Amino acid sequence: MDILKTEKLEKTYQDNGVPVHAIKGIDLKIEKGEFLVIAGPSGSGKTTLLNLLGALDKPTNGKVFFENEDLTQKDKNQLSSIRLHKLGFIFQAYNLIPVLSALENIEFSMMLLGIPEKERENKALTLMDELGIKDLAHKRPNEMSGGQQQRVAVARAIINNPTVVLADEPTANLDSVTAGHLLDLMEQMNKEKNITFIFSSHDKQVMDRAKRLLILKDGRIDKS
Amino acid sequence: MLLKLAWRNIWRNRRRSLIVLTSVIVGLVAIIISDGLSNGMIGQMLFNQINLNISHIQIHKKGFNNNKVVKNYIPNYKKVDQVLKNDPSIKAYSRRVFVTGILSSANNSSGVMIYGIDPNQEANVSIIKNSMIEGSYLTNNKRDIIIGKKLAEKLEVEVGDKVVAMANTLKGDIGSEVFRIVGIFRTASSEFDKTAIYIPDATEQSMLNIGNKYYEYAIITKDYDNVGQVQKKLETKLGNKYEVLSYKDLLPMLIYQIELYKETMWILNVIIGLALIFGIINSMLMSVFERIKEFGVLMSIGMKNSRIYSMIVTEAFIIGIVGTIAGLIIGLLLEIPLTHTGIDLSFFSTGLEAFGIGTVIYPILSVGNIILSSLFMPFVAIIGALYPAYKAIKLEPIYAIYYV
Repeated sequence: MDILKTEKLEKTYQDNGVPVHAIKGIDLKIEKGEFLVIAGPSGSGKTTLLNLLGALDKPTNGKVFFENEDLTQKDKNQLSSIRLHKLGFIFQAYNLIPVLSALENIEFSMMLLGIPEKERENKALTLMDELGIKDLAHKRPNEMSGGQQQRVAVARAIINNPTVVLADEPTANLDSVTAGHLLDLMEQMNKEKNITFIFSSHDKQVMDRAKRLLILKDGRIDKS
Repeated sequence: MLLKLAWRNIWRNRRRSLIVLTSVIVGLVAIIISDGLSNGMIGQMLFNQINLNISHIQIHKKGFNNNKVVKNYIPNYKKVDQVLKNDPSIKAYSRRVFVTGILSSANNSSGVMIYGIDPNQEANVSIIKNSMIEGSYLTNNKRDIIIGKKLAEKLEVEVGDKVVAMANTLKGDIGSEVFRIVGIFRTASSEFDKTAIYIPDATEQSMLNIGNKYYEYAIITKDYDNVGQVQKKLETKLGNKYEVLSYKDLLPMLIYQIELYKETMWILNVIIGLALIFGIINSMLMSVFERIKEFGVLMSIGMKNSRIYSMIVTEAFIIGIVGTIAGLIIGLLLEIPLTHTGIDLSFFSTGLEAFGIGTVIYPILSVGNIILSSLFMPFVAIIGALYPAYKAIKLEPIYAIYYV
């Protein structure tokens, strides 16, 4: 079953008045449970494609379907709701909320869903335990290493049992050992919880783990 | 958790938040103190006017207030006495003979208002007995007179000196009497001290050749807030030959000034509020611009714009609430002692005495105004946060996440 599908997807930016065609007519189908890596050189459109798939950006032309619903027809609130209920994001720079502890960062999206405090705390602590980061529960992001922060970010991304997790260069700021552990963790989540993972990365280690590799070049799929 | 997040966001930039908080506190303290002072000044202005000679209610012959001539005496004072004695809402009253005239000493003369009074009755409705600074209060001794300090200075007289009072009699002649000054008073109103003199009522009646007649009843009611009702009741009982006037009717300019003063205070409060609003807008805008990337993350994890908007407004509201609590505590700690000791503004004594206020102002705390001011600050803080919050939700998630 296709969980994500694009049709003739195009994205053009204006850079100081000069149009930049970042994505040039991509047709793509992603099935549930995939562990997909979108790779390619810098400027190939990896991150742009990931953001379009994650309903963070709107295409200039073409369509993005998530669970057969056309995301280009949704308003801001509907897209927020889809991101909250169905999607998880992991960023290169971790992007945890600096004034919240690791536990609170993980709890935050559950709070947005209206889950009671005790329940979300139990759920977050259970997941942290599974991921081996329970001892970080009360630490703020500035008290954690990059690898620890990224693990917390993974926990934040998957806590609401999303259908798809989109990870933009998740290992770019990590050493190879830490990156390896993080990828182990995501593979485990993929297998155990059947969460679809979509990466944008040019890290060989990430590409090696891909069940499916998509190479982008100049905004087009070069190799699939 | 949103509250927790808002609270922690406030303290990210401690110095900036403390500056905004301080401006809220200073603003509220300024409002509390200026409000207390203005209430005190207004209260003292009214109190002094009422208790010097205006009283709560005055009764005259119909038309006397607009035409204060000797022939306009009260037609039947015994009837008025009867009505007042039988009215339980009346605390005290004083009958007055009252005419304009001239007071002369060996050195000078001056236009005056000559009040003929029963000293005991007058002591119950006015503060003149307590305002004596030299000599003694008036007695029923026929030739006794008390005058104000300013008038004594102008006439170059002191206690024990002789003065001559003159006024038109009922027949149009000039009536005059020689008096010996037994006391000099000083009130909060320099104007009153320049013009008012008191002599026994019988002496004035004889001087004006009017017999046992009076021109004015000065009445103090038991309940200040009930003056209007008592006025209406007396009007009904006395009929249309009399005019029953409350202090509001007798002091229209003062009442107008007080209203104007109150409105000016509100304008001042609004100006303070506006200054605060711009301070808060500036601070919150800086806070929003520093967190653009974070708003992008919040949007990406599904936080709706309405919640982001509420979070930013909540941050400002918390600053408003904390500032209000601190401002209230500091403002009240500063003001409560001043309500007992007063603030000595003798530096401005000439102006204050001309307005009948007195040189020591006792601030009056108005619970209603304090509650309004306390609501005002958080409201101002919310207003100040609306635009920065709007700017935050207008961000596109993709722009915000990758904002550097």
